[in-house]
Amino acid sequence: MTVANQPSDSPARIREHFLATGDALTALAERTAEVDSIVIEAAARLLFPPLGTNVAILAVGGYGRRQLFPYSDIDLLILFPSDRHITGAKEPIAIFLRHLWDAGLRMSHSVRTPDECAEVHDSNTELNISLLDQRFLAGDRTLYAGLADRLPKFIHANRNALIRNLAQLSRERHAKFAGTFYHLEPNVKDTPGGLRDFQLVCWLGQLRDGTADPSSELRDAYHFLARLRCYLHIQTGRDNNLLSFDAQDGLAEHWRLPGAAQWMREYYRHSRNIYRAAIRSVEAGEVQVSSLFAQFRDYRSRISNVDFSVHRERVHFREPQRLDVEPELALRLFEFVARHGFRLSSEAELRIGARLPRLKEYFADPLPIWPALSTIMALPHAPLALRAMHDTSMLTAIFPEFAEIECLVIRDFFHRYTVDEHTLVTIQNLWALHNTSEPAYRPFRDLLAEIKEPSPLVFALLFHDAGKGSPEEGHVDASLRLIEEPMNRIQMPWPHREMVAFLIGRHLDLSTAMFSRDMDDPQTIIDVAHQMGTVERLKALTLVTYADISAVNPTTMTPWRAEQLWQLYLKVYNELTRELESERIDAVPTGSPERIAFLQGFPTRYLRTHSETEIDGHMALEEKSQKRGLAVETLKRDSAWQLTLVAHDRPGLFADVAGTLSCFGMNILKAEAYSNLRHLVLDTFTFADPGRTLDLNPSEIERLNATVERVVSGRTDVRDLLRNRPKPVLPSRKAGFAPRVSVDAEASASATLIEIVAEDRPGLLYDLATAITSNGGNIEVVMIDTQAHKAIDVFYVTSEGHKLEPETQMMIRAAVEGAVT
Amino acid sequence: MKKIEAIIQPFKLDDVKEALKSIGIDGMTITEVRGHGRQKGHKEVYRGQEYNVDLLPKVKLELVVPSERADETINTIIAAARTGKIGDGKIFIFDVQQAVRIRNDDRGESAI
Repeated sequence: MTVANQPSDSPARIREHFLATGDALTALAERTAEVDSIVIEAAARLLFPPLGTNVAILAVGGYGRRQLFPYSDIDLLILFPSDRHITGAKEPIAIFLRHLWDAGLRMSHSVRTPDECAEVHDSNTELNISLLDQRFLAGDRTLYAGLADRLPKFIHANRNALIRNLAQLSRERHAKFAGTFYHLEPNVKDTPGGLRDFQLVCWLGQLRDGTADPSSELRDAYHFLARLRCYLHIQTGRDNNLLSFDAQDGLAEHWRLPGAAQWMREYYRHSRNIYRAAIRSVEAGEVQVSSLFAQFRDYRSRISNVDFSVHRERVHFREPQRLDVEPELALRLFEFVARHGFRLSSEAELRIGARLPRLKEYFADPLPIWPALSTIMALPHAPLALRAMHDTSMLTAIFPEFAEIECLVIRDFFHRYTVDEHTLVTIQNLWALHNTSEPAYRPFRDLLAEIKEPSPLVFALLFHDAGKGSPEEGHVDASLRLIEEPMNRIQMPWPHREMVAFLIGRHLDLSTAMFSRDMDDPQTIIDVAHQMGTVERLKALTLVTYADISAVNPTTMTPWRAEQLWQLYLKVYNELTRELESERIDAVPTGSPERIAFLQGFPTRYLRTHSETEIDGHMALEEKSQKRGLAVETLKRDSAWQLTLVAHDRPGLFADVAGTLSCFGMNILKAEAYSNLRHLVLDTFTFADPGRTLDLNPSEIERLNATVERVVSGRTDVRDLLRNRPKPVLPSRKAGFAPRVSVDAEASASATLIEIVAEDRPGLLYDLATAITSNGGNIEVVMIDTQAHKAIDVFYVTSEGHKLEPETQMMIRAAVEGAVT
Repeated sequence: MKKIEAIIQPFKLDDVKEALKSIGIDGMTITEVRGHGRQKGHKEVYRGQEYNVDLLPKVKLELVVPSERADETINTIIAAARTGKIGDGKIFIFDVQQAVRIRNDDRGESAI
């Protein structure tokens, strides 16, 4: 009788016992014993008679550890003294393996000599590692004893290389799963935090210290995962390690838990313990093997400060007991992480963990901690800090509302991660834009660079799906409801709260428009523009949409989709900024009579391109102007300066201010002009100060303001000032390009557009504005952009309240061309 | 059997899928593509700078149906994808010699 003909009741018995008791360890041991007897019997009958004594059979890998799952591959190593012995053994080995296959065993074998087993295989690390778990099954004991004697010495002598190879292999495996264990349908063997990682901790311990002694927490996690994998194998009748949605339902029932969601939270808890231990072991191993790496880490330790020390790339508390009396120290810890990009030490994690009840209690009271959180959320390593806050449960200590989505599985065909992981990945992907050079994503990178205060955006991303834990109501509404209380508690200022509420409430709008609206239909764009309200909101929502889509799974944000989103952004941006005379503010819904009077008659574009704070500033300037008929203010804004003027309109006013700035040596980058129903003009000029005159001589700011006032009030003639200005330095011929002037009478309903692209030079704006106004044109709005030495200026010009007559148009065009050539 | 290849506006994808489902056609391959026919591209201006959009985002649907259902399928796609404006897309129809289901070696119409 052959092996194949021996039916066994063992699988059915193992299955029944396991399903009745959930005892995976017994199931694995029984399966191992069963396979042992089949292999030993087959070897004795089919392998040893033709080959004699010079062969030994070893169980390796999981089989060697006696942890054979019901349908796992069976790893055998067939050992020969030398290659010479292998040559004539092919046929008996083939017969032996064929019989095992026929017995229903999935064999995975290798044929080796002791010399091969005792050498480092950089391209076959699995072989070296599988031998850590080798076990003699049958055959030549002397041959095996020789190998068993050599292996410990080999491991000791080569442990650095083996650790390095194993660490690299593990990092590659983790990368395949995006380095997270929060997958909706994880692979219980290979996903980070799975059984392979448990084994990794054991192997690294064995290589480092000669023994594998995982903590009781890890052993619990192993027992949980072993039971889970055993169940998957038994239920599907194959080597299936995918924890699918269907399997999750079955497992919850098998575990006698009320639902899959609760069971999955258990899974993630164990998986998180294993993953953390695995990462620590890998990193500890890498430090051990690389003295250069250690030196680099020690060099970075110099970043330590009075609160924290950095040792081997890990942050430690200097005086952890201070946490008891100074809970804000925990926030400073995460700010340190966000600033420098170091991970927390295990000790710091434990310290936080031990004080969580106290921290929860402390942060439950209303506290003005938004500035601290806002700083964390704006720093270069914000995603790392937020993840560390999540991992240590500090995030839920500050925001218990976040617990609603912790490890939450929402079954969805496209989503790959749990809701909390998706949330953290959105922030990670947003921050990754800072360093992207991919052409399809570069526009979003530039957009992100324009966001002055990114923290409300990050905060909105953190909570955009918080409502998914409340399935009884729509998740957007639920998120908006949930966010109210924490925003009160951390005392977030109103403008930020409004932005956060807008971003959460509208976080699906742009995707909806992209995928289900005709973007070529002007009405779609008008509708979206009205939903956005301001350019600032549009920019922030575009970035939220980008981050949200790209965090669904690693392949969702294709260049195709990025382009769709960017096209939508462009169209809506242009819609928000193009409205000029045709759309004037005629009714201001709310506000004081002064505010209504100030705003009436400005283009609606003004409201859409200025924040409430800026409008308040302009109104204050208007009030100041009431005494003398005009007011000027010059302020430093980030890297540039901004001059704002409120005055009564008169021909040539814009050109005069532009000329004054030029005579001070300032380089105008942007300028905008607005006028309201009372013929009050609000002009803003953003300019660079190449000589740092204003920075180094603050008194010059007052002199500039006073000069502008004198010029605007007619007490000084700007032409006198400009007579003394230095001759402009023309760019080299190589860098030059032909200037272009185009006139468009159709683009606006009430003004003629004059677009000029020319070499930038000091005084250019003054010359252009003068060319227009001296030929009968009235500048309604001007938009200026400067890119390197190229100036792109667009003037919206009218004459006596209407578009330019053809004759005036020709005269202005000729004058403008004269100014740029 | 006929293979139908339809290039449609991305925002019409859900409508077309729903319409095909309503006549009992579920199986299809969808690809995100870029291209242009007579629609050419267009120009967007962003802060004074021109962005040329030469190739427009479209969605390509590929499906194989029994020959006698081809007209019905095509008409369904047309009805669901049409806005009447330039850029609505195109449909191409090809003869299919054979279809094979890899899993069980089914051949012909039973494989589609």
